[in-house]
Amino acid sequence: MSQVRQYELVYILSPDATDQEVADLHTQIEAIITRYQGELVKTENWGRRKLAFRIGKHREGTYVLEVFKGTGELTKELDRRLKVIDSVIRHLCVRVDEDLRLAERTRARRDAETQRRIARGLPVGGRSRRSDDDGGDDEPTDRAEV
Amino acid sequence: MAEERRSRGGAGSKTRGSARGAEKGGPRRGMFRRRKVCKFCTDKVDYIDYKDAKMLLPFVPERAKILPRRISGVCAMHQRKLQTAIMRARQLALLPYSTD
Ligand SMILES: [Zn+2]
Repeated sequence: MSQVRQYELVYILSPDATDQEVADLHTQIEAIITRYQGELVKTENWGRRKLAFRIGKHREGTYVLEVFKGTGELTKELDRRLKVIDSVIRHLCVRVDEDLRLAERTRARRDAETQRRIARGLPVGGRSRRSDDDGGDDEPTDRAEV
Repeated sequence: MAEERRSRGGAGSKTRGSARGAEKGGPRRGMFRRRKVCKFCTDKVDYIDYKDAKMLLPFVPERAKILPRRISGVCAMHQRKLQTAIMRARQLALLPYSTD
């Protein structure tokens, strides 16, 4: 039994793929997610984009993002299926829950620190975007504290 | 974390000292000379998204190699996250491996 994680899957379809084919693949992916007791969180069609380099003979492709929750077995199955579908020229599935949680924790901690400074009447650092010709490196607010 | 360390005060004078040192070293390539603070720390970016190619692009200039942090001023933690994001973006052809 493996754990449920949040993943992001991005796949690129050949520019020859019709809208119907793009929709069908999404339906297939969703069915696999459901079959493995996963949950589709969000889907985004980025449309046709130019590729930064050629993949096979292709210079552009249709990008689709699927955010889902599921197990490692599910991602393995998706990986296996996407590899054998000819219209998919590239795909990438990455786990994102840990990074997002970490980012959220960092943000929460910073907010708490800001609140603490406000409560103690200390200047709140950071918000001021200094111009580039300011030679100093540190936040002026920190010097004021000393 | 890096922010906390900087705000302790002692580190501030140290970085000012090194800034003066750079000045003495004569004119260097101008573009990044002043940029001593991590852009991501300043902008409070907690998550570097591999899907945001536009944001990543300035960090893969010219021959599309990842910009070293001694030039960009990005802190170690954010450079690590940036590196992961760039490698993912490359796998998805959102960023080039090299511009040839
Ligand atoms: Zn940083």
